[in-house]
Amino acid sequence: MLSSMAAAGSVTAALQVTEVLEAIVSCCVGPEGRQVLCTKPTGEVLLSRNGGRLLEALHLEHPIARMIVDCVSSHLKKTGDGAKTFIIYLCHLLRGLHSITEKEKDSLMCENIQTYGRHWKNCCQWKFISQALLTFQTQVLDGIMDQYLSRHFLSIFSSAKEKTLCRSSLELLLEAYFCGRVGRNNHKFISQLMCDYFFKCTTCKSGTDVFELVDDCFVELNVGVTGLPVSDSRIIAGLVLQKDFSRYCPADGDIRMVIVTETIQPLFSASGSEFILNSEAQFQTSQFWIMEKTKAIMKHLCSQNVTLLLSSVRQPDLVIYYAGVNGISVVECLSSEEISLIQRIIGLSPFVPLHALSQCEISNTALVKFCKPLILRSRRYVHLGLISTCTFIPHCIVLCGPVQGLIKQHEDALHGAFKMLRQLFKDLDLNYVTQANDQSDTASLFICKNSGESYKVPDARNGSIQKPYPDTVIENKDELEKTQTYLKAYSNLAISDVELETYIPYSIPKLTPADTFQTDETLRCLSLEKNRLIGDYEALLKSSSTAYSTRGNNRIEICYENLQVTNITGKGGLLPVSFKLQNMGTSQSYLSSSVPAGCVLPVGGNFEILLHYYLLNYAKKCHQSEETVVSIIANALLGIPKVLYKSKTGKDSFPHMYIRAVHALQTNEPIVSSQAGLESVTGKCQLLTSVLQCLTKILTIDLVITVKRHPQKVHSQDSEDEL
Amino acid sequence: MSRLDAKKPSLCKSEPLTSERVRTTLSVLKTIVTSCYGPSGRLKQLHNGSGGYVCTTSQSSALLSHLSVTHPILKILTASVQNHVSSFSDCGLFTAILCCNLIENVQRLGLTPTSVIRLNTHLLSLCISYLKSETCGCRIPVDFSSTQILLCLVRSILTSKPACTLTRAETEHISALILRAFLLTIPENAEGHIILGKCLIVPLKGQRVIDSTVLPGILIEMSEVQLMRLLPIKKSAALKVALFCTTLSGDISDTGEGTVVLSYGVSLENAVLDQLLNLGRQLVSDHVDLVLCQKVIHPSLKQFLNMHRVIAIDRIGVTLMEPLTKMTGTQPIGSLGSISPNSYGSVKDVCTAKFGSKHFVHLTPNEATICSLLLCNRNDTAWDELKLTCQTALHVLQLTLKEPWALLGGGCTETHLAAYIRHKTHNNPESILKDDECTQTELQLIAEAFCSALESVVGSLEHDGGEILTDMKYGHLWSVQADSPCLVNWPDLLSQCGCGLYNSREELSWSFLRSTHHPFVPQTCLSHEAVGSVSNLTLDCLTAKLSGLQVAVETANLILDLSYVIEDTN
Repeated sequence: MLSSMAAAGSVTAALQVTEVLEAIVSCCVGPEGRQVLCTKPTGEVLLSRNGGRLLEALHLEHPIARMIVDCVSSHLKKTGDGAKTFIIYLCHLLRGLHSITEKEKDSLMCENIQTYGRHWKNCCQWKFISQALLTFQTQVLDGIMDQYLSRHFLSIFSSAKEKTLCRSSLELLLEAYFCGRVGRNNHKFISQLMCDYFFKCTTCKSGTDVFELVDDCFVELNVGVTGLPVSDSRIIAGLVLQKDFSRYCPADGDIRMVIVTETIQPLFSASGSEFILNSEAQFQTSQFWIMEKTKAIMKHLCSQNVTLLLSSVRQPDLVIYYAGVNGISVVECLSSEEISLIQRIIGLSPFVPLHALSQCEISNTALVKFCKPLILRSRRYVHLGLISTCTFIPHCIVLCGPVQGLIKQHEDALHGAFKMLRQLFKDLDLNYVTQANDQSDTASLFICKNSGESYKVPDARNGSIQKPYPDTVIENKDELEKTQTYLKAYSNLAISDVELETYIPYSIPKLTPADTFQTDETLRCLSLEKNRLIGDYEALLKSSSTAYSTRGNNRIEICYENLQVTNITGKGGLLPVSFKLQNMGTSQSYLSSSVPAGCVLPVGGNFEILLHYYLLNYAKKCHQSEETVVSIIANALLGIPKVLYKSKTGKDSFPHMYIRAVHALQTNEPIVSSQAGLESVTGKCQLLTSVLQCLTKILTIDLVITVKRHPQKVHSQDSEDEL
Repeated sequence: MSRLDAKKPSLCKSEPLTSERVRTTLSVLKTIVTSCYGPSGRLKQLHNGSGGYVCTTSQSSALLSHLSVTHPILKILTASVQNHVSSFSDCGLFTAILCCNLIENVQRLGLTPTSVIRLNTHLLSLCISYLKSETCGCRIPVDFSSTQILLCLVRSILTSKPACTLTRAETEHISALILRAFLLTIPENAEGHIILGKCLIVPLKGQRVIDSTVLPGILIEMSEVQLMRLLPIKKSAALKVALFCTTLSGDISDTGEGTVVLSYGVSLENAVLDQLLNLGRQLVSDHVDLVLCQKVIHPSLKQFLNMHRVIAIDRIGVTLMEPLTKMTGTQPIGSLGSISPNSYGSVKDVCTAKFGSKHFVHLTPNEATICSLLLCNRNDTAWDELKLTCQTALHVLQLTLKEPWALLGGGCTETHLAAYIRHKTHNNPESILKDDECTQTELQLIAEAFCSALESVVGSLEHDGGEILTDMKYGHLWSVQADSPCLVNWPDLLSQCGCGLYNSREELSWSFLRSTHHPFVPQTCLSHEAVGSVSNLTLDCLTAKLSGLQVAVETANLILDLSYVIEDTN
């Protein structure tokens, strides 16, 4: 017998659930967030501010809650960030939807639906809204991002082409990241640790593959030590294996190592075979043969100057003994992850013992800088100085803390930071639709804009980036002075003068064609107009619409604490434009563009407020039904800065901040952020998409049916089916 | 097979520290740890309700490992104390009490966790930098050329563990033994990097404490019968030793993954025994005098070796393998044939010894840093406590070797530190606040909470109802007995301060520790004459105390920062 129970799957129910979740996660958000203590059924105690982990630990029962948690975890799998923001945003969206249904019940309904029951009416309406949401997410959102928001983006890279990072900007990014992840007295220390680790592990040639490696193997790259204060955490060069030597022989000079994945001692009988013993002497001879063979292999290794043997399996006593006799150190029982990490770093394939004797020289050995025991709080580890053959320079993080739970939190946060960086170094594709038949100014303007840009942007970019360095200096001697005095004005910032001076060469090319300095009272941002582009644009723009003339300075470079803003607006480049030109006659045009790697915005709800502002502007041009949906989305975005500014009072409180920001946007001035720190744009975009998809999912459900089944019965049913 | 149950939802509680239950459990833990603290601390008897082992202790490591706490917040607290103890051995109770006090004091204030945590961190770094600075008035340099200060350090540890039940004479004896054992583990000709040896503690329960002794080398326990069979060795030169880590029992070793088919009449046992006897012949021809085996030696091989005047000792066990390898300089042998000659080691002498009712074989090293401490005490529980104490003392000596400083004990460091912090926050709050968002009022409140937490730690040294005073010059601790008449001349009642550095003949002014008094500048920079003239000081390990202080504040910060507790009920 199946007994079932049904409950209306309504926005109200979902709202109730998310409000509870919001209450929990919002206390861990942002720099003011606090810790949550989770216990596991095993009795382990874990400290966490990680939204995903908290939601998981709650073991929620409510079906809608479970669905939300599923959505969050699939989002986390992709990006590793933003679980708390997800919940807060979803909650505000649901709140917005809930409140409009109270006001305008019938505005979206067709007449014939009124014959159905009230619940079904609602459901139909939700279906309608969910479709509107989906359309918005797939067709409009990316466009807004590309056409309006992108001009505010900053780039984390000090040189966009080579994707190089300077320390100060990475510090800003990481500090903001760890603010929301670890205890407030430790976030500075942990972000410094991560910064050090990043610069120690990477070379100028390193690319995203380093992040991939660290992300994949992070467990093997850190060692937790309990009982010491957090401030004792440090980075050590080389790789630390969480094993002790089975035999340690101190060696000087060249240390060569081999990796084995099987026992070196030949087996008495191979698997699947039968060994027939006819006499005792035969047994003794074969034992003797095994012994001699083992001895010979170890001697051979020794003659090839091998002094270290890493093994993924346990080696017999005999092997260990002969290793000791020949001065070879042995580490046994390494996990497959450890072996694969070593192989990735040094590109060494395992050594096959039985083939070894036939060759006179062993090819798969690798040189090691050092190999010694490392004692951390009375536990012994193996410390290897691997010589890397890839762009990753091996270093390990030793994480200290009074309790395991805290160390785990720091480990998770560091791992998450690498996931975030990995995402940041990738471009994010944006695809959207412009409605040409809308006859709105926007659409036609974009066409003009893009066609103009497709010719102008490439050479403009080349002009600013590829300009040889000496030329720039000669051209801009007077500007150089200006730059320096200008940069001196920054001295109230946390960056030291020495650092400033080293970055001046980078900032010069950006400042070269300076026409006007926009004078804002903080002197934080500097935007420049580009003559060559403007010339073409203004002709086009003035003819089409005067409303957009202010947006002419479409190639802006802003100096934000040594950050460079690259031109992102027209990044659509040549391909989509040519495609577009072909489609000029049709009603809809599909555009694709991307958020380039390394795009960041200042923290503290900047992204949300910007998007909110532009969405509201967009909503004004929409049909009434669409307008409601867009403005709900826009208003819900403000939920996040509201939480972040909860504890602030007076001039720093949320309403003040919001008014200042909107005013700045209207007058086309740069927004001044009260907090230093940066966050990735890519992560935010992906988060927004995930939340909207989750909401769409919730809205399409009209009925939740709880099925209570008897476990045994189901089991027997299953087995019958099988029969 | 039944299906797995669905996971039960977790329990989620907000603001855990405000709940009455948490406060009660925290205060219960606090009473337990404070009542154990110091030389006059009360003992705790821990036993399982259904019988079995009884533990009488006042040490944090024994106490906390036997207590089973259920509340997650207490788990965090006890785990961090235990982790501290396992890495520094000492100052566990200090850490636990300080942490409890801090949580309790700060909770009362009702400030926002942000400012509390920030200020606590500032105050902690103030303490640490003071204790590490040259001007610190509560630490003394440790002179390794004389035993005086080292003995004081060991004696202080022994007297602070009343459950060892030592008399004064016994304390002196054990302190001297511990120091001797420690000195034996230091290599004689060390250059640059020193690798300390090991001191093995050998149990001898039911004997008088005075019978405890230290011997260089290793003692291997043996039954009397076995010992009789060993032949006396008449050899003046060093003895050649072979140490086996593989079994010599004649088991057929691993035959691989396939199957082995034996023809009729073939005996593998005989074949292996042949192999063993061949090994014996090789050992004899290599002039080995002593064969040691971690596992079992086959009786035939044993007999063969005895016949050729070779001593064979088996079943040594894995724990002795490392010290034996180190002491004899051997390569543990894992092969039944073809032993390379450089894997043999040597010992200076082998003799038999009897201590109490136990018989031992005593291996004397040529020159090695391994020694054995034969430790006696009346009964099991007292012995266990004494063993833990000895390990603590040895560890503290090692830590002191690394960082040759000691802190004044007996509570003087804490009162002095509290006076210093009060003075600093009162006279120079700007230097602490710098660019922070915290106000001066908040700083004063938190500093007061911090200092009184430190002072309550030393307040719990007094268990007999006495009063605790502090002087206004050095900021040291002085205690008065409970039944002393009031309104008398203080110098008559007080003889010397907690650590024993100052006496009351000096013109000092005192005030009660718990009463409010003006912040004053405690005298910094200890004079060397003052330290040199006193022979019996109470001292604490600097490294352990520093870490204890850090761990206590960090853990308190962690607990104060909690906004939710999610308990998994599965």
